Amino acid sequence: MKNIILVGKPNSGKSLLFNQLTGMRQKVANFPGVTVELKSGKFGEYRLIDFPGAYSLSTLSRDEEIAVEKIHEAMHDDNTSLIVCNLDATRLERSLVFGLQVRDLAKQHGKALIFALNMIDEVERFSHHVDCEQLGKDLGVAVFPLSAKTLIGLHEFKVALNDIVKQPEKYIPTLSVAEGDSVFNVSRRIAKQYGIHADIVLRQQNRIDSFLLNNVLGGIAFFGIMFLLFQSIFTWATPLMDGVESIIGVLAQTATSAIGPGIINDFLQDALFGGFGSFLVFVPQIMVLTFIIGLLEDSGYLARAALICHKPLSYFGLSGRSFIPYLSGHACAIPAIMAARTIESPRKRLITMMTIPLMSCSARLPVYALLIAVLIPDTTYVGGLFSLQGTAFFVLYFLGIITALTVSVLLNKFTDRDSDKAEMPFILELPNYRLPHWKPLMLRVLTSAKQFIRRAGPVIFMVSVVIWFLGYFPSSEHELQGSYLAVIGQWIEPVFEPLGLDWRYGVAILVSFLAREVFVGALGTLFGIEGADENIAGLAANIQADGLTLGAGLGLLIFYVVALQCVATVATLKGETGSTKIAWGLFVGYGMLAYSLAFIVSNIF
Amino acid sequence: MTLWDIPAKKSALISGLDNSLVPAVMNRLLEMGLSDGQTVRCLRRSPLRGPLVVQIGDCVYTLEQSIADKVAISDLS
Repeated sequence: MKNIILVGKPNSGKSLLFNQLTGMRQKVANFPGVTVELKSGKFGEYRLIDFPGAYSLSTLSRDEEIAVEKIHEAMHDDNTSLIVCNLDATRLERSLVFGLQVRDLAKQHGKALIFALNMIDEVERFSHHVDCEQLGKDLGVAVFPLSAKTLIGLHEFKVALNDIVKQPEKYIPTLSVAEGDSVFNVSRRIAKQYGIHADIVLRQQNRIDSFLLNNVLGGIAFFGIMFLLFQSIFTWATPLMDGVESIIGVLAQTATSAIGPGIINDFLQDALFGGFGSFLVFVPQIMVLTFIIGLLEDSGYLARAALICHKPLSYFGLSGRSFIPYLSGHACAIPAIMAARTIESPRKRLITMMTIPLMSCSARLPVYALLIAVLIPDTTYVGGLFSLQGTAFFVLYFLGIITALTVSVLLNKFTDRDSDKAEMPFILELPNYRLPHWKPLMLRVLTSAKQFIRRAGPVIFMVSVVIWFLGYFPSSEHELQGSYLAVIGQWIEPVFEPLGLDWRYGVAILVSFLAREVFVGALGTLFGIEGADENIAGLAANIQADGLTLGAGLGLLIFYVVALQCVATVATLKGETGSTKIAWGLFVGYGMLAYSLAFIVSNIF
Repeated sequence: MTLWDIPAKKSALISGLDNSLVPAVMNRLLEMGLSDGQTVRCLRRSPLRGPLVVQIGDCVYTLEQSIADKVAISDLS
């Protein structure tokens, strides 16, 4: 199948154009090696590929590097029949800098190229007219005015596109930037001639900024937005999680009552629904978080948040751009580590990646929820507005952030500073504020859920099965006390004894080194409660009755805040840092730090 | 005078980039429109010597001190 490649600068409406051209049937492929997300969809008999956004063909950060590598690859690929470069009509000069670079490259490689002048509605709103025919002649590339948002010109563009891909040789650029002239000068000249006056389109953006970036009001707005974000993870996600829980409960009941008692029944009940099911409950939370972060990103606020955080974060050796990975780290460390690619400074990027695992990701939530229910009384104040348990959640999240910042400072102090010479500075474009587009956003939310299940699902399923097997055999009554697991447990007990924990916790912690969300399921199986995962309060009551001390419990919580118990994260770290030593070093280092902190805490309380 | 010295709500003309800039950064600044004679307007300054927000051409950027220090300006108005 022949390919049509879609390129353009970030924040230029490129992704929306892609969605409009391909409809909602698109595939997100993670390419091995670089794991860059390339979305592809069908346009007629062609495959349309949405390349990651880039400002320029000469790159500053790793994400741009990957994007540009891909563009070069596409130029050499015989299957590339056409390149569509998306230009932002409101920022013509800036889009043309990239557009002209692509044009010269396409000419050099004999590839067909057309320009889509997107967001034309936003300049026409101010009765500014762009003579696209003349502009196309000046650029030596056909220009199609359109708006992926209001659909102006989209139909015409589709018709033209269908025609162009059939005879691409007619659309190979004829002009290139003249000797002695530069891409910047040409862009400026052309933008001056055809573009809208900058002050007009920037007026709205600057007006909103004067509030959201205001020294006082902007700070309040920032904290308000962050508060809402965390609130939403707990409150909005709860009904959804309860829903998933009841569905799994019903399924479990239907399945087990149809099969009747026996080993298969036990297996389904404990390993499949109990173990694997407990993990599915957290999928809605990931979706809610992805939704909110996507909302902030699409609206243009995240760039402002990075600006606000730059100075405070620089005290810890981080960049304002570290804010976004840190924020997404609260959903899942894996996409967060990848998001760190946007940080230009290699050193700050490395420190950010190394400390992301300390953000309390959603996999820690079930562990926190269980232990808080065990340890903290369910008291509320001010008519239920503040709850002690809710505050405990907040403290744990906060603790994760504080630990991450502390580790950043230490890493900054003790690592090689020679690389500072090549330090890339903080430069960020503040895009226009825009209303999010719901369909693509929802699609992204669904994808995040699918990816989460695909990535962690197999591991959790395997662990559930293995634990169940070890806990179920060889005792004829299938009692835990006489199982293989008990033997292993007794053997590792000395390791966990200093923390005030017995072998059952030891086993649960040990297996949760693969994926921390396994802890609750494992402990549930171990405490021998049927359907423990469908009823956290039941397990909590059992642990309370069993006599988990406050010190040991708090120690356990601290342990889970700090420890890097996620094989998928280690693998991602290895891929992104390119170093096995760093990835496994962090795994061991955070494990030891977690153990030491847990030891101290369990002995204080 | 450098871009770092520009007060909020003032405009100036770019008069040069410091040669000590890494080529990649220098190139990016040129692509952003920070070339000689271009008008730059400071939209706001952040507290604690944080990044400043400037309008250059048709874009709004935020730059930190280490980079703004290396951009010479003249004709403040």
